[in-house]
Formats: sequence, structure tokens, C-alpha cells
Amino acid sequence: MKLTVPHIGHLDVFLDTLGKTIGPEFIAPPKTSPRTLSLGMKYAPPSTCLPFKFILGNFIEALEQGADTIAMVSDHGPCRVGMYDVVMQQILRDLGFHFTWISMDDTQIWRDYLVRFNRERRARGVSIWRTLRALRLGWKKLRFCEKVEFLAHRIRPLERKRGETTRVEAQCIKLIHGVNHPNQLREVWKECLRLFDRIEKDFTRKPLKVVITGEGYIVINPHANQEIERRLGEMGVEVTRTVWISHKIAHALHLDCFIPKSKAKAIKASKPYLKYNLGGECNSSIGYPILFKRAGFEGAIQLLPLGCMLEAVAKPILVRVSKEYDLPILTFSFDENLSETMVTTRLSAFIDLLQRRRERSYLKQEKK
Amino acid sequence: MKIRIGIPRTLLYYRYFTFWTTFFSSLDFEVVISRPTHRSLLEEGFKYVDGDNCIPIKMAFGHVLALQNQVDFLFVPRLLSLDPKSCFCPRTAGLPEMLKYSIPHLPPILDPYIDERHRSTNLLSSLTEIGQKLGKRSKEIKEAFQQAQKAFQVFWEKAKEGSLPPELFPTRSLPNSDKRIAVLGHPYCLYDPFLNFNLLRLLEDSGALVLTQEMVESKEIEVEIKKVGKDIYWTFGREILGAGLYYLYSNRVDGLIYITCFSCGVDSMIEPLLSHRAQRGEAVYFCLMIDEHTGVGGIRTRLEAFLETIERRKRFQKAKR
Repeated sequence: MKLTVPHIGHLDVFLDTLGKTIGPEFIAPPKTSPRTLSLGMKYAPPSTCLPFKFILGNFIEALEQGADTIAMVSDHGPCRVGMYDVVMQQILRDLGFHFTWISMDDTQIWRDYLVRFNRERRARGVSIWRTLRALRLGWKKLRFCEKVEFLAHRIRPLERKRGETTRVEAQCIKLIHGVNHPNQLREVWKECLRLFDRIEKDFTRKPLKVVITGEGYIVINPHANQEIERRLGEMGVEVTRTVWISHKIAHALHLDCFIPKSKAKAIKASKPYLKYNLGGECNSSIGYPILFKRAGFEGAIQLLPLGCMLEAVAKPILVRVSKEYDLPILTFSFDENLSETMVTTRLSAFIDLLQRRRERSYLKQEKK
Repeated sequence: MKIRIGIPRTLLYYRYFTFWTTFFSSLDFEVVISRPTHRSLLEEGFKYVDGDNCIPIKMAFGHVLALQNQVDFLFVPRLLSLDPKSCFCPRTAGLPEMLKYSIPHLPPILDPYIDERHRSTNLLSSLTEIGQKLGKRSKEIKEAFQQAQKAFQVFWEKAKEGSLPPELFPTRSLPNSDKRIAVLGHPYCLYDPFLNFNLLRLLEDSGALVLTQEMVESKEIEVEIKKVGKDIYWTFGREILGAGLYYLYSNRVDGLIYITCFSCGVDSMIEPLLSHRAQRGEAVYFCLMIDEHTGVGGIRTRLEAFLETIERRKRFQKAKR
């Protein structure tokens, strides 16, 4: 069994660790590239959303590399991600690939998949103790990768030499990737912090603070959102991301007690605008800008794939939120005709606006 | 003077209009339904809605704008689900909010939250809440509800028999044709003559018998969905795919047309499933995608080609025999 999953955040770090220690063997799809997208575009139905095309491309490339088992989340609506498994299986089988498909349905995850996982563990003769240790190590590595990203978001606007943070970030993630034993992890984390410390920073700068919300796949994956976080950072903006893959995994396993309560708070904050829970990230992408405005953030960016069913509801509501909370909100809807220039132009206009607003508020304070 | 309640003639109106109109008129309200869609109405709606939405949602904005000054209340139900298995498209569920935050100076919106998956939000209790807000007693509301249900039953049985109600499809005669064509799609794509350029009429004029997904028994739909191997969770998606496969496998039709609109999330997942199976079936299949820029010329050409293919196939089969 050679397992593969789509590239979503640092999910591959987690599964790679499991693959190396207790199995099953894990094959990460090649890094998402223009070829991935063009493969996805070629074989996906034209009106599906962007994540479908990326994920399909990932699967095709992974199957070419020799994977034979695909694991993919499933759902019970209303978002169309729940239907991905049927449509993708059909497309991949038409292309002549042979594989086993494991569809991870979040309502049956405890009942079906943990029992299955346990059975496979026993068949492979791995002890429970080793399994738990491997799971813990994988999870920690995933969390540390996310922490590195988080740090990079903070430090990037302060760097003196452009590109330094991005380099360090890549280096750190490579270091974390190489960890094979829990004891090593602490050393590696210290090394990462040292590397980040060594970046030359200019603390006189007061970076603008912007929060990124929206559809999960697009927010998490730099390849899908035109590396919007890096771009913003290099333009001198401190970014905070609201969706993390570790939170999503914990939520799917009904282990919400292990993750911060921010999503529940965001949903609560969105209640005055959207009384009921629609599902997906619709409610939280309305709630997060409100929460972060209260925490002193100066702008928000909503990212969505074109034709997203849930975020399209959030979009007009965010216009009202923007007015009532006096918070500029920029919306990007991504499709496969991604244009770098479009993103940079709109971002720089947005940042200009934020800067102007800040200057004006300073002037007001001085007058008083 | 009676309180006027406005119902936009879009989206779920095309399925549940008998229910809604009977319910409100037996509660002694005046029901105002917006005029059938026309070009300027659509363009009016575009001013307020962003491009990420599908054309039926944009049309809903136009209809609401047209009703704006004529009514005291707008009725835009927030239908999440009507049975425990399936749910509606989230855009229809979020429509009241989209309207409220996009169009200024709207009359108050009546938006009953209907989710049959939970007992506290089922159809009757949500409608009771709305009725009580308008000053009716719960006994009256229950009576109106029962009447509405009866009216809907009658409508539904008629639809099953194959006669679409004259409100949606006027002066229709069932021709005894040997050309049988199934037309599938969301009800608002099928029955809005503006949206699909009167496709059903064009088909009937060409002498074909039009069948829709309403004419398939729900039992048959369930059987077909079981064969797909995935519990399709959208109410209309389930209906369309089940009915489409039923028509396909039972060899009851010569052609299959799927009407979908651009950026419809449900159809983007259902259509590949259906078209994949239709390729191996007997029937001729074609999918018609509609957006704001679709012209009647293109549709006519494709329709002619489609009908021609059916006829040619028939001749071919006859010659074979």
C-alpha cells in the first residue's frame, strides 16, 4: 500500500512521519506546479472550483509516481467537497489508473477509520506504544511547521534584506522534515528560533496588520493563493492567517478541546449578521474580521475560489461588516487564470489605502 | 386593508409556489408575485449583486427590487432542508442575508428558518413563528398549513402524472409523439422561460414530448441513487441525478437535456456523473449551460443539432431492423 494525499498545508509532514515509522508507505505528490494545475484543468469538469483542479492534479501526479491508495476527506454538504470523491474517482478511473480510494467521512471517522487503522496496525505488527509515539511525533512536526510559518508572518515585514525570512522559513521546514526522533525535535526547534533570530530586523518599522480569512484550501495553500502572505509580508504587512490544517484535522476528529477556541468565537461574532450556521468557513470568515478588528487589526482579506457556494454568501455580508466596523476588506476570488500582476496591483492599492487611513488617524490624534 | 406579502418569482418559487400562495391567502393576506423575468429586471439586479453568484441568484435580486415598493413584507424562506437526508444549496439558504445586506430600504423580510433535520425548526413550527409575528393565532396557522399541504399534494400528483401546472407552463397539450425528451435541471432553470429561452416550448413545437424530473417517482430516484454509491446530499441534485439515470437506464427517452447555469455548485458535481453514464446509454445527451451572455441563436442551433441527431439515430435503428 502506497498512500497519497493532496497537498494541503503541511499535511505531508505528518503522513511522511507515520510512513517512515509505522507505515503505510507514503508518497507525497510532487510539489504543486503549473503542470499540476494544467493537468487538473484538462481533466476536471470546467465549472468545478479551483481546489478540485489542484487536488485532481496532485492525485494524477502522485499516481504517476506509483501511489496506489488515495485518502481524501468527504462530507455531508452543503459544500461540494463532499462530492469530490465520486467525481474524482470517476475521472481517475477513466484515465486508466488503478487505485484504492479511502474516503474520510467526518461523521464516521471514529467508527470506521480508527478501527481500520487499528486493524492495519495489528496486521503490520506494530505495537500500540510505537503507534502513539509516531502519531505524537507527526502531530508535533506538523504543529512546528505551522509555528514556523506563523513566525515568518510576523518577522517578514521587519526584515532588512528582502527574501531573508522566506529563505529561513524554507530552511526550518526542511530541518523539521528531517526529524526522526522526538528528542531531536526540541533541538531542531531551538535551531529554528536561532535562525529566525539571526535575521536582521528593523524594529522601528510599524507594520500594518492584516488578517486573511476565507475558504480553507485557498487560505492554507500558498500555491493556490499566489503566495499572498509572502507578498504582503514583503510589502511590509504583518499577516495573520485564520485557517490551519492542524485545526481542521482536530475539528474533523471531534477533538476541538486541543485547538484554540478562536473558530467558535468567530462563529459567535458572526451571529448578528448570519444567525445560523451555514457550514464550511462561511460563518467564521464573517466573524474573524470582527474579532481581529477588536484586536487592533487594520484590514482584512477574504480569499475564495470562484463560484464557491458558501463564501459567496459571506461576501455581501462582509461589505456590511466593513462599513459597520470601519474596517477595509479586500476580496479575491481565484480561478485558474491566476494573474500575478492582478494580485500585486490590487494588494498595493489596498496597502496604500490602509497607510493613508493610518496617517489620517495620526493627524486626528495630533489635533486633539 | 390587507397586508401584502411579496413573493419573488425565482428559485424555489418554481417548486413550492402552490404551498406558499395557499398558505398566505388562506391566512387572509394579499399575495403579490413579481412579474415573470425580463431583461431590464435582470439588469437592475446586477447593480447590487457581485459576480461570484449564479444567474438565478442575480435574478432573485431583480425580482426583489421589482417588489420593493409594492409590498409590506417580502417572503424569502430560508430553506436548509426538507427531509433528513438532504439539504438545499447554501446560496438559497443564505439569500435573505445577501438581500438584506446588499439592497438598501427593503421591506422587512419574512425568513422562516426551515430545517427538517431538527424538530424545533421544522416547517410547521417555523411557519407558525412567522404567522404569529404577523398577528395570527396558531390554530388559524395550522389550518392554513394543512390547506397548503393539500394544495401542494394536488400539484405534486399532477406533476407526477405528467401535466405541469398551467401557472408554470400555459396551454400545454400532450402530443402523442414518438420523440421523448427528458429535460433536467433545477426547477428555476427549467420553468423560467426567460432563463432557458423557452426551451420547453421550443421542444414541444418541434413535436417532442417533454419529460421532467418531477414525473419520476421518488422510489425510482432512491433506487438509482443507491446504485451511484454515494448519498447525494443536495435535494435537487439527488432528484436530477436519480431521475436522469432512471430515464437513461429504463430506455424511456430518446434524448436527455441538462439545463445548468454558470457557477452552479450543485450542477458542477452532478453533471459529470450524469454525462459519464449517458455516454454509454442509448439516449442522446447534451448539457446546456446558461449565463448572462447566452443568446437565443446559440441555443436554437444546438437544439436543432440535438433533434437532428435523435432523428438520425432513429432512422438508423429502423434501417437496422
